[in-house]
Amino acid sequence: MKKSLSVIAALALTTNAAFAAPVQITWWHGMGGANEQVINQVAEKFNAAQAACAITPVSKGTYEEALASGIAAFRSGEQPNILQVFDAGAATIISAKGATIPAEDLLAQNGHKLDRDAFIDGIRNFYADADGKFIGMPFNSSAPIMYINTDAFTKAGVTPPKTWEEFEAVAPKLKEAGYVPLAASQLTWMLFENFFSRNNIQMASNNNGYDSIEGTTLNATAPEMIAFWNKLKEWHTAGLFGFYGAGWADNQKPFEEGKVALWIGSSGSFGGLSKTATMPFSADFIPYVAAIGEGNKSSFIGGAALFAMSGKPEAENKCSADFFNFLTTTEIQTFYHQATGYVAITKAAYEASKAEGWYTSHPVAEVGIKQLLLPQGEWSKGYRLGFYPQIRAVEEREFNKIFSGETTVEDAFKAIETEGNELLAKFAKTAG
Amino acid sequence: MNRIRPLDHLILILGTLFMVMPVVVAIMTSTHTAVEIHTGGLQLLPGNDGYDTYHTVLTRQGGFTGQVTGARMVMNSLILGIGFAVGKIVLSMAAAYALVYFRFRFATLMFWVIFTTLLLPLEVRIMPSYHVMSQLGLLNSYTGLIVPLLASATGTFYFRQFFKSIPDELLEAARIDGAGPVKFFIDVILPLSKTMMAAIFIIMFVYGWNQYLWPMLMTTDERFFTLMRGIKQILQVWVGSQIPDYNEAFALAVLALLPPVLVVVVFQRWFIKGLTESDK
Amino acid sequence: MTDVTQTAPGLIRRWIARATARPEPAKRVQFDRPLLPWLFLAPQLAVIFVFFYWPSAQAISSSFYIEDPFGFGSTFVGFDNYTDALGSAEYRHIAGFTAIFTVLVTAFSLGLGLLLAVKADQVIRARSTYRTALISVYAIAPPVAGLIGMMLFDQHIGPFVKLAACFGWELKVGLNYFDTAFAMILVSVWKQVPYNFIFILSGLQGIPQSVREAALIDCKNGARRFFTAILPLLAPTAFFLLIINITYALFDTFAVIDVMVKDKAANNPITLVYKVYLDGFRGNDIGGSSAQSVILMLVVLVLTLVQFRWLERRVHYG
Repeated sequence: MKKSLSVIAALALTTNAAFAAPVQITWWHGMGGANEQVINQVAEKFNAAQAACAITPVSKGTYEEALASGIAAFRSGEQPNILQVFDAGAATIISAKGATIPAEDLLAQNGHKLDRDAFIDGIRNFYADADGKFIGMPFNSSAPIMYINTDAFTKAGVTPPKTWEEFEAVAPKLKEAGYVPLAASQLTWMLFENFFSRNNIQMASNNNGYDSIEGTTLNATAPEMIAFWNKLKEWHTAGLFGFYGAGWADNQKPFEEGKVALWIGSSGSFGGLSKTATMPFSADFIPYVAAIGEGNKSSFIGGAALFAMSGKPEAENKCSADFFNFLTTTEIQTFYHQATGYVAITKAAYEASKAEGWYTSHPVAEVGIKQLLLPQGEWSKGYRLGFYPQIRAVEEREFNKIFSGETTVEDAFKAIETEGNELLAKFAKTAG
Repeated sequence: MNRIRPLDHLILILGTLFMVMPVVVAIMTSTHTAVEIHTGGLQLLPGNDGYDTYHTVLTRQGGFTGQVTGARMVMNSLILGIGFAVGKIVLSMAAAYALVYFRFRFATLMFWVIFTTLLLPLEVRIMPSYHVMSQLGLLNSYTGLIVPLLASATGTFYFRQFFKSIPDELLEAARIDGAGPVKFFIDVILPLSKTMMAAIFIIMFVYGWNQYLWPMLMTTDERFFTLMRGIKQILQVWVGSQIPDYNEAFALAVLALLPPVLVVVVFQRWFIKGLTESDK
Repeated sequence: MTDVTQTAPGLIRRWIARATARPEPAKRVQFDRPLLPWLFLAPQLAVIFVFFYWPSAQAISSSFYIEDPFGFGSTFVGFDNYTDALGSAEYRHIAGFTAIFTVLVTAFSLGLGLLLAVKADQVIRARSTYRTALISVYAIAPPVAGLIGMMLFDQHIGPFVKLAACFGWELKVGLNYFDTAFAMILVSVWKQVPYNFIFILSGLQGIPQSVREAALIDCKNGARRFFTAILPLLAPTAFFLLIINITYALFDTFAVIDVMVKDKAANNPITLVYKVYLDGFRGNDIGGSSAQSVILMLVVLVLTLVQFRWLERRVHYG
């Protein structure tokens, strides 16, 4: 008794808080604007729902800045309990074994049960290991979908395409009707990474990189990929595909202005579009190539996950586990999904939103979820590639060159593969 | 020299217009709504929503703790700006004085030791710098925010250039009067340096005022939020899912202009008088 | 102290003569105290050793490793990170652009700053208005300055793009290499001119009235008077600004670049520091980016040494 009293006294002294002070944990994230406010609300809800723990979210700039801050802090022993890491940085943090406690272990150690099947299929594997064990806790996720300018299709008298073959058939009519038939933001995510997932083509050796970082190579020169990009280039030359550079907004803007018939963007983009689009719009899945025969599989997600950093006291880890568990509740998931526009990550939250009639008022919000609920191919679970931000930079560079005519599709993808493999080999050395 | 020179004014007016146009545009744009800015781009004419926007940014209690208010952000930015500028002037004047006015061993070496710091910006060595700060226990402190930024030779280099151009006759005369180094510094060098100090104060104040990356990395406590973080935070939204509150970012930026401009107005007098005064 | 005014015209002639003569030590007369200079130097030295040399030493040592950013594993690779960078055609291409970018940004921002400062120094009326207006440009928050730059050059709604279209120039920033480079240079110069303006103006204001009057008597032609009498007096400031502007163009423009390429470099022009930022900060390649930093530092060091050796001889101090 005496001992526990002094412990409490010490706690009260060190935390400088009221009696029976809750255990304090911190959560570093990379969100700004309205989404940061939603994060604060989620934290407040957690703090209000129980008394043992108190979480403090801290904004650490952008995704990249948040990860870099987390790394710098970890190396100095100043790490937060929970760190948000974005999709392309997943390999960096997951490969650093010992930097994090796998989410599933953390939950199990602290008396919670993680039910993998409760999650939407397309979300389950991206931040998990090869056996499907959750390393990161999926948090904010999105899918690339195709937005449709409905006016354009009425005017051209055609229906929106489901496959790239159908696109090729309707595109000239859309052009005749005075529209640029297609534009897409962030080609790396939309038409490179997700070309692999939607058409079920292997993206990298070693099981898309999940099995080992040693000896992983990129499969950028897959013949299907080359064939598709040659088409894309053809469409670009024929004025059927508008390319406005690597910047996201430059490619979205003409769609908002009603000049483009189809735009491939993020499943969350409808929130902004509903304010800025000058015409009515709907959405559908990102097209696939029917001729490949494997198509219409689930896509890779984008977004970020939460990681529990190691090196923290047991009591704090318990709170992190409680918080992760709290995040999976249907109430929080439904709230987060509806407040931000990110897809629902649990099936229950999807069902709850459906029951509430959320998709009647926001039909586009459902498209991404449905696409992630599509059957999974062998290769549509995700990828685990080191130094992927740099590999993306190489892809972006080569894509720009393709459309400016500086290089051919074949050479571009050869360059992506060569330089990508060099980076992957270099990454394998980071493990020592 | 007192004639009115129409050509000079013309060049100045054109140059100033070219330079200032974006500032005017920022002010005008801040009075429009975010959607107008998103779809229409920069605005040249005032809009109708200025009052609401400025009211919001000035009164909102932001952040998780509600401590991120306009006043708090301004105060932190001021501490950073003034602390940095004053620190820089004190450190670099002292160092430059030693380098120029003293004969001592290793003087050239010391010059290069200091000068080398110009060659690697903080951004490049930011990770190890964080580590050093953590070992010194200076994370989440104003000292930690300001002092590492001082490790650059700009000011020292500048004052060295100026001190070297001060006529030697002054020192000779002072020595005949029996003045020692400290007295010479206070009585002669300090008054002579007023214009230079004003110039460097303005530049360094703005530099500290506009810091973003280092404060972001260094502090985890919302008490230390600066205006720059506030602005970045507004602009940084998930692409496409929302429109950033451009109007608020512009409004904060316009408000953030006021203190540096005030500093300029305050130092205006110092600018006009330089060596001229001591000529008498 | 009175002799300065009395001999002013003579002084000018002496100064001009000296400007072309051999360099000399810092001062003809100096104090000779063993301890005092170190006392004056101590604060600055302390700060730079703790916050510059210590972190920089760590950066240099990381450049010989490929390491896991969290610090769990690392492989000693000797000079591999250096040869990787220097051996890459991409890297050399970026280095080439960096050189051109640095020369142009330095030349234009110094030139414009000088022009405006000289004019502002000559006029009496409204001088403080010009100064305040120009400084307000310097003070505008970098993220918003970037936003303005980006909006001015927006492919779809940018006023600058529309202006260029009137001249038949289809400006595509983010897509066309040359156009992006143009926009980057313009915005970088715009941000730096006020800096030069302030320092040159304070340099000009520091020139004794007596010297100016003497110069007026000596030399009637305004332009010649400027180049023979005023400019040499500005040389110390100009030399300082030259070096500072080069480091600005090399190091401090990466925020502008980030905005102009919309954080996706693709095949747009970027500078070496932006590459360090991409690989190190964004890509978490600590070894590779450290090696690039060291290369950059060596290049700038050599450049500065050369400038000090060749240029500072021509700078004459009072």
